[in-house]
Amino acid sequence: MLIDYRFKTLNPIRNNVNWILRPLEYIMMAPRNVFEASSEYFTTRGTLDKENQEMRVRQAELSLLANQSEYLLVENQNLRQLMDLQKQVSFKTLPVEILFNPPNPISQRIVINRGSNDGLKLGNPIANDAGILGQVVRIYDNSAEVSLLEDRDFAVPVQVARNGLRAAVFGAGRGNPLELRYLPVASDLEVGDVLITSGIDGVYPPGFAVAVISRIERSADQNSSNVFCVPVAPVNRYRQALALLYDPQWDAKVSKTIPSSGIPAANAPGRRQTRARGMQ
Amino acid sequence: MIDFQSGYILRPVNPLFIYFSLFCALLLNLIPIGNYGWVPDWLIICILFWNIHQHRYVGVIWAFLLGLMMDVHNSDLLGLHAFSYSLVAYIAISWHRRIAALTVLPQALHLLPIFLLVSLFPVLMHWILSGELYWWALTGAVQAAIEALLWPMATRLLLAPQRRAIDVDHNRPL
Repeated sequence: MLIDYRFKTLNPIRNNVNWILRPLEYIMMAPRNVFEASSEYFTTRGTLDKENQEMRVRQAELSLLANQSEYLLVENQNLRQLMDLQKQVSFKTLPVEILFNPPNPISQRIVINRGSNDGLKLGNPIANDAGILGQVVRIYDNSAEVSLLEDRDFAVPVQVARNGLRAAVFGAGRGNPLELRYLPVASDLEVGDVLITSGIDGVYPPGFAVAVISRIERSADQNSSNVFCVPVAPVNRYRQALALLYDPQWDAKVSKTIPSSGIPAANAPGRRQTRARGMQ
Repeated sequence: MIDFQSGYILRPVNPLFIYFSLFCALLLNLIPIGNYGWVPDWLIICILFWNIHQHRYVGVIWAFLLGLMMDVHNSDLLGLHAFSYSLVAYIAISWHRRIAALTVLPQALHLLPIFLLVSLFPVLMHWILSGELYWWALTGAVQAAIEALLWPMATRLLLAPQRRAIDVDHNRPL
């Protein structure tokens, strides 16, 4: 145990045992999957109709938003270029399926069905449609273990969506609310503020929802405040999630043209400027 | 071996049945029920049962190997279950004469502290390593109680092949 804890040298053993165990786990997942598939099969027409209706409304809203967002994206990139800021970096997504959550009294983890063979790397963030779920902490060939936001000492750099205040969200162990640390007592926070990733760590792409502030305890004498938050992404609702393959260096290696607009990359909007502009 | 409940001599055990039952218990442990504290650990029931009844076939080494598998499955520190399983296997083997001579319910009571040790071992280990005790994770005691309640069922099920009559006479009553 100590060897594993301190030196992490037992990975070959773990990989081999996992190689034996994973097929058995797939076998034992079959009854649950059959049960879920059959209960989906027998949903009534009314439920489907209602769901369809909701989906259509949602799709109309989203496509409207998407049209607008393209315009905003171009405008944003142009403004960033005007101000000589760095370009917003892009990321790839990889759909993953949550296989199961192993029983563990201390910390909750999830096991997903993609591994290093699919291009997943240690530390890749996992998100679902609501926000960030967690981060890949252990990787096998065809599966990976994801540690969730509420894990002890799990830190995510965030900013408050309302006013751009930067901070870090820390996990406090399974079942405990997340904590927002390192903020002075006078900082402008309210219950219900959404925290989004700030992207300064180079692990999480910026702009993903992480948590919502649920409780604030201010103590003026210590000049600190205890801020508690809850994760926005529910863990056990869906089986599907997305892995965000994100590398802040990618913007330096992008292809010659931006696919959508066809502008040469050298003077593409927001391209990182390495020389002073007057010298070009 | 004498069955102390009925007083009859049991049939010899089939080693294949032992390994088959261990394999089934391992599969039962792999069922994705979810991360709940009360889900019984079928494997440790089965290991302890064979430790007490047939410790020549299933000893500390088997407990260690199966515990290693559970470590990988649970994504724990490698060795956490392996150590706790082999520890309780040792305790069970050293107590096996006393426990096997009892009837089923006192047996379950004797095994309750052993199950408690297995259930709370990860929490205690985490306490030692990080200095932080998760009080609510001590609900693993519920798991131990459920496992102790399952003990009579395990006895009935796992001893059934040995309790068959040796010469089946269909004309004889009983």
